[in-house]
Amino acid sequence: MAIEEHIISLLVNNQPGVLSRIAGVFSSRGYNIRSLCVAETTNPEVSRITLTSRAESDFTEKIKKQLDKLVDVISVTDFTGAPAVQRELMLISLRLTPENRKEVLRAIDLFGCRVVAMSEECLIMEITANKDKTAAILKYFEPFGVVEMNRTGAIAVFRQAREG
Amino acid sequence: MDTIGADIVLKTLAEEGVDVIFGYPGANTLPLNDRLADSPIRHYLMRHEQAAAHAADGYARATGKVGVCLSTSGPGATNMVTGIATAYMDSTPMVAITAQVNSDLWGRDAFQETDIIGITMPITKHSFMVRDVNQIASSLRQAFQLASTGRPGPVLVDIPKDILSARCGDQPKKAPTAATKRIANPEQIERIAQALNRSERPVLIIGGGVKLGDACVQMSELVQRAQVPFVTTMMGIGSVSSANGFNLGFIGTHGNELANRMIHQSDFILALGARFTERSTSVISEFAPLATVAQIDIDPTSIGKNIKVDLPFVGDIQEALAALIPLIVPRERDAWLERIRTDRQTLEEKLIDGGCGQAGTLIRKIQAAMPRETIVVPDVGLNQIWTVRTWQSHSPRSLLTSGGMGTMGFSVPAAIGARVGAPDRDVVVICGDGGFYMNIQELATISYYRLPIKIVVINNGHLGMIRQMQDLFYDARFTTSDLGDRVDLVAVARGFGIPAERVAVDEDPAEAIARMGSAEGPYMVEAMVDPDNYVYPIIPPGASNVEMISGK
Ligand SMILES: Cc1ncc(C[n+]2csc(CCOP(=O)(O)OP(=O)(O)O)c2C)c(N)n1
Repeated sequence: MAIEEHIISLLVNNQPGVLSRIAGVFSSRGYNIRSLCVAETTNPEVSRITLTSRAESDFTEKIKKQLDKLVDVISVTDFTGAPAVQRELMLISLRLTPENRKEVLRAIDLFGCRVVAMSEECLIMEITANKDKTAAILKYFEPFGVVEMNRTGAIAVFRQAREG
Repeated sequence: MDTIGADIVLKTLAEEGVDVIFGYPGANTLPLNDRLADSPIRHYLMRHEQAAAHAADGYARATGKVGVCLSTSGPGATNMVTGIATAYMDSTPMVAITAQVNSDLWGRDAFQETDIIGITMPITKHSFMVRDVNQIASSLRQAFQLASTGRPGPVLVDIPKDILSARCGDQPKKAPTAATKRIANPEQIERIAQALNRSERPVLIIGGGVKLGDACVQMSELVQRAQVPFVTTMMGIGSVSSANGFNLGFIGTHGNELANRMIHQSDFILALGARFTERSTSVISEFAPLATVAQIDIDPTSIGKNIKVDLPFVGDIQEALAALIPLIVPRERDAWLERIRTDRQTLEEKLIDGGCGQAGTLIRKIQAAMPRETIVVPDVGLNQIWTVRTWQSHSPRSLLTSGGMGTMGFSVPAAIGARVGAPDRDVVVICGDGGFYMNIQELATISYYRLPIKIVVINNGHLGMIRQMQDLFYDARFTTSDLGDRVDLVAVARGFGIPAERVAVDEDPAEAIARMGSAEGPYMVEAMVDPDNYVYPIIPPGASNVEMISGK
């Protein structure tokens, strides 16, 4: 079976220990969680967890059933292949030199990134884009000397209003 | 006396219909132990927390009610882990209550503090850490609800000592839950019925879920109406009387050759409350190669987990059967039944003593000496296989065995729970010498409470099942499986206050068994058997279900 990336989103009770139960469902079946984002929803008793994992195509089917069994999981949605808007936020700290300065600034402009801090030797930019684009941008800047990089992992929202 | 958390625990347990708990105290459980004096709930003091969990498990298996065990924090709680895992693997409804250190000590590596919720997460259905005395009742109620509904299983409730001791007011009454039941997908049941009606060579696979779902009556009805042969998993034995003419035996590694063969030849299988573990199927790609597979299970994760299912149905097994039975059109399948008849005959002629040697004969004699309603509790190893192959189970709650986990040491404490739960039934343990040592301290519990449990230790001086595997698959190099003969188990039992005697199975054990059967109180028979008394046929590792071997 083909291996692909899955984005799964869960609504869960906002309580201690819930994340560790969810992580356990993945780890005990040998799946690696590639990214993870947790935050409260508009209802403070409920959190949304968005995570990505690479696995076979029947993975969602299987893992969803297991997740659904957890008492604190309210719902499980798979965004993989669905009509949804998906974004992640990435911060890149880049070494600046007199030689690369011009090209870096032009590329930042071109990619639609935002400079959030800058000194003589260093520049920090912010990128919000889907995961393919953040990956491409990171790849482009790598040769210039990335000092530090941090990203949130994907979050997603459906394009159309849906029930439930 | 003011009402404290411990009172709420006991009151809620009583509300949930609990009459006994199996436990072991510690400093952190003491508020609860103290208030037991004023509660109608009986507390059985075991001699080890693992045994308390197995006893709660045995109680649940014998009665169908939720079993309850109690331990203190730290070592008490960790000692229960094997018992909880055993219950989890066999889907036993159980509530394990652990006391925890005072909540102001959490996370400080206090004396006897362990994260028992973290430790047991993969082996419980759910768990509750009670953080407030006003949460005790609701957490426990939810625990019982979760433990006993859907696919049952153990739920752990961890309660800190200060919360057990905290004063509190009366708790709100339990809100009545209105259960509305209806079949969710009737068309799926119709499709299963059509496929069964059409099939030429159908076989039903009855798993442990049929007993758990209380659907044994309907199960027999289906067999009778459809006139379909059935196999069981080890956990499914007894769901329909073993003596039923359509019974082919149980499938898998140590199962009956007839059952394995007929599954292989079938064109349709309907699995009910069975999850196709590798113990039952061996190499899954070679399992039932010609069959359309239908599966009915309450747990959606059990459907299609191990095998590709053509016709699934997720739901309550009793309701599913009630919907299915009227759709079955009885028909004749003479060729199929005839093939089974001839195969059964040749296999039975080939297999003396059901493949269990003198140990099998012994077990047949034990059953003959005991009343029909006797509960048998085998341990794990050859003794388990001999028992499940030989014992005729006439009713669902009469064979209690650790199937999924295969926990040595299960039998004696589980038998205690079974007897406490079913005081009108006789209980007999059949155990190996290795497994007997693993919870031997529970002889003290049996003796203390004068529980009339009969124990047969089939002593081969070895870890018999390990020895058989070494003999067959490791060139007969018998390392680490010899237990020796220096222990006088009869003297040990007597030392615990239990009458006991020793017999050799090749001399006539009938008299000893008769004495055991007629003894008023507990009784132990140590039955000496040859270490080469194995069980055949068996499926070698990596082979399929139809590649059973009958010797070296
Ligand atoms: C707690 C535990 N430890 C180890 C095993 C592995 N094991 C399975 S069968 C067996 C041998 C059992 O020997 P004995 O109790 O003497 O029974 P016999 O096979 O001789 O009937 C062992 C060690 C197990 N099932 N459970």
